[in-house]
Amino acid sequence: MPNSVDVDDLRRRLLEAGYVADAGLATALACAVALERAVLLEGDAGVGKTDAARALASVFGAQLLRLQCYEGLDLAAAAYDWNYGKQLLAIRAAEGSHEHTPDLYHDEFLIRRPLLAALGATRPRGIVLLIDEIDRADDEFEAFLLEFLADFAISIPERGTVAASHPPIVVLTSNRTRDLHDALKRRCFYHWIGHPSVEREIEILRLHLPQLAPALAADVARASAALREHELRKAPGISESLDWAQTLQLLGAQRLGADVFERSLGSVLKYPEDIETALASATSIIAAADGGG
Amino acid sequence: MTRSDDEVTTAAGFDRALRARGVVAGTRRARTFAEVLLALPARSASELYWRARAAMLPSIDDLDAFHVAFLEFFGALGDADALRRLVRSVDAPPRRQARDLPQRESIPPAPSDRPADERLAERAPTQWIMASSEHRLTDKAFEDFDESERAAMLRLIARVRVAGEYRTSRRRRAHAHGDRFDFRGTLRGASRTAGELLRRRASRRRERLRPVVFILDVSGSMAPFARALLQYARVTAVARPAVRAFAFATRLTDLTPLLKRAGDERLMSAIASAVRDYGGGTRIGAALRAFNDGFAQRGAARGGTVVILSDGWERDDPALVGTELQRLRRLARRIVWVNPHKRHAAYEPLARGMAAALPYLDAFLSGHSLRTLDAVADAIEGRIA
Repeated sequence: MPNSVDVDDLRRRLLEAGYVADAGLATALACAVALERAVLLEGDAGVGKTDAARALASVFGAQLLRLQCYEGLDLAAAAYDWNYGKQLLAIRAAEGSHEHTPDLYHDEFLIRRPLLAALGATRPRGIVLLIDEIDRADDEFEAFLLEFLADFAISIPERGTVAASHPPIVVLTSNRTRDLHDALKRRCFYHWIGHPSVEREIEILRLHLPQLAPALAADVARASAALREHELRKAPGISESLDWAQTLQLLGAQRLGADVFERSLGSVLKYPEDIETALASATSIIAAADGGG
Repeated sequence: MTRSDDEVTTAAGFDRALRARGVVAGTRRARTFAEVLLALPARSASELYWRARAAMLPSIDDLDAFHVAFLEFFGALGDADALRRLVRSVDAPPRRQARDLPQRESIPPAPSDRPADERLAERAPTQWIMASSEHRLTDKAFEDFDESERAAMLRLIARVRVAGEYRTSRRRRAHAHGDRFDFRGTLRGASRTAGELLRRRASRRRERLRPVVFILDVSGSMAPFARALLQYARVTAVARPAVRAFAFATRLTDLTPLLKRAGDERLMSAIASAVRDYGGGTRIGAALRAFNDGFAQRGAARGGTVVILSDGWERDDPALVGTELQRLRRLARRIVWVNPHKRHAAYEPLARGMAAALPYLDAFLSGHSLRTLDAVADAIEGRIA
């Protein structure tokens, strides 16, 4: 196959782009790239779903187009719209000069939103389209995506069908606030991004915060892992760990000790009940953070 | 046999193995899997595993069954031990369906250990009436309802179909008297009249049905009422897109996937498995917590009504019921509690879980008969007597 992508190679290049992917994620992404099919990434908030798409774009030197989903997202916001003001002006101008009615659906009146823009790649793998938090969009938009993902084409009633000469790499993410339709899931590769192991989290922290003291990075990773063991409303994701590490850095801490634990907790836990839980077992969490020495 | 035949045979065979384990991946995924194996040949067990998973796993909830099928199918072809080690090394993600609730250390009191006066206040006055009506509902299948009951059931179905609580959606549709001017439509119309803007077009907001969630206690004496309410949930699910149902005794089971598709038999066996570990006493607080953590906080109940069926007998700490309901109140629009014991004139909410729940309820109903289910329907729509 001409499109073949080596999984290990992709994983290495993702790492160079600042993203630590495990074998499963790298495989799912490689499959998506090789077979020109979308990949659906699910996982709790803050585990790095969106960043995976960013890193993928940087690996291929591609342009990243992001479409944030929300309820009521329609074609005018997702695919294309017409520049009505310009169209009206064109009509008036034509009237003034007694010409025929101009072509109101010419390229110059077309506003390209992310989905349409994603069809305009000039080379293979030139565009990564990130459809973020698809679970927030409604059924109507999902149904539209089915057609888009099948053909990589959008039909514009006034213009005809616009098809991609080079299909974009499509990454969908979902927080699972609701289940997606199976018809959509069937068209995608699927990967669940879980919370990282302590070693992987240390690697991520140090990659993103190069000035972070190695000891502090290890402390934060182990403490985050310890926090995830507790029954929390929202277990900290990687982005919370990163915030925590940065906060501790800001507080001038060398290690995660009792002195900074309570003060910095607001950067990693976002529910008062969770903070209570963490404070109640502060000693054991700090001990766990100190764990490997 | 050509090379691509091998991949296709493998993918199709694995699809069948998955199906045998209850995971419906489908032909499209199987074809994709074959294409993956051709494009990115697997050189090791681990590579094979991740390729299979990316292409064939429909949802993280299916992971356990996927692992079983993977071991069965590929284990038979090669080194089964290596595969087993591999599968074991994969971190189990958080389960969503049928998640186990945390076990408590304390030994739950047997039902007979409950304070005698509490039990009497709730059950004694009209115990024989309850026993007989329970009996009738338990032993009789829905097709065996007598004429008056069946008519009421049909009335109820008709009512649910037409009624329903709406909210305004973010989506718009064309409407002659809409509140927003439709620029695109107007211009399109104008191109037919030589650019003259003759007809104003407009749009207005669409309306959407609000979600309804049923959380049903299926343990012991609640089982017959749960069955009736579940039937009601199924009827509702036909008319509304966003209906979910859960069963709990000591753990929470999501019945939603079975609501629209499954026959009575599968639904009942799902309930039976939810009750399997029932050992006298329910864990309402823990079930509500599992619902809040796994569903409500992700938005399953947002803007909707949650209907809870339970008698409020909490095996563990009743304070947890209050805490979790308080949380649910912030996540849902309305909470309706159905307790069949409430129909007795002498009923007082003495069950400690029930007492803890009362401050957070929008409606507290008996819902024990078809007639009183009407009131439940009213409460779901916000018409509360």
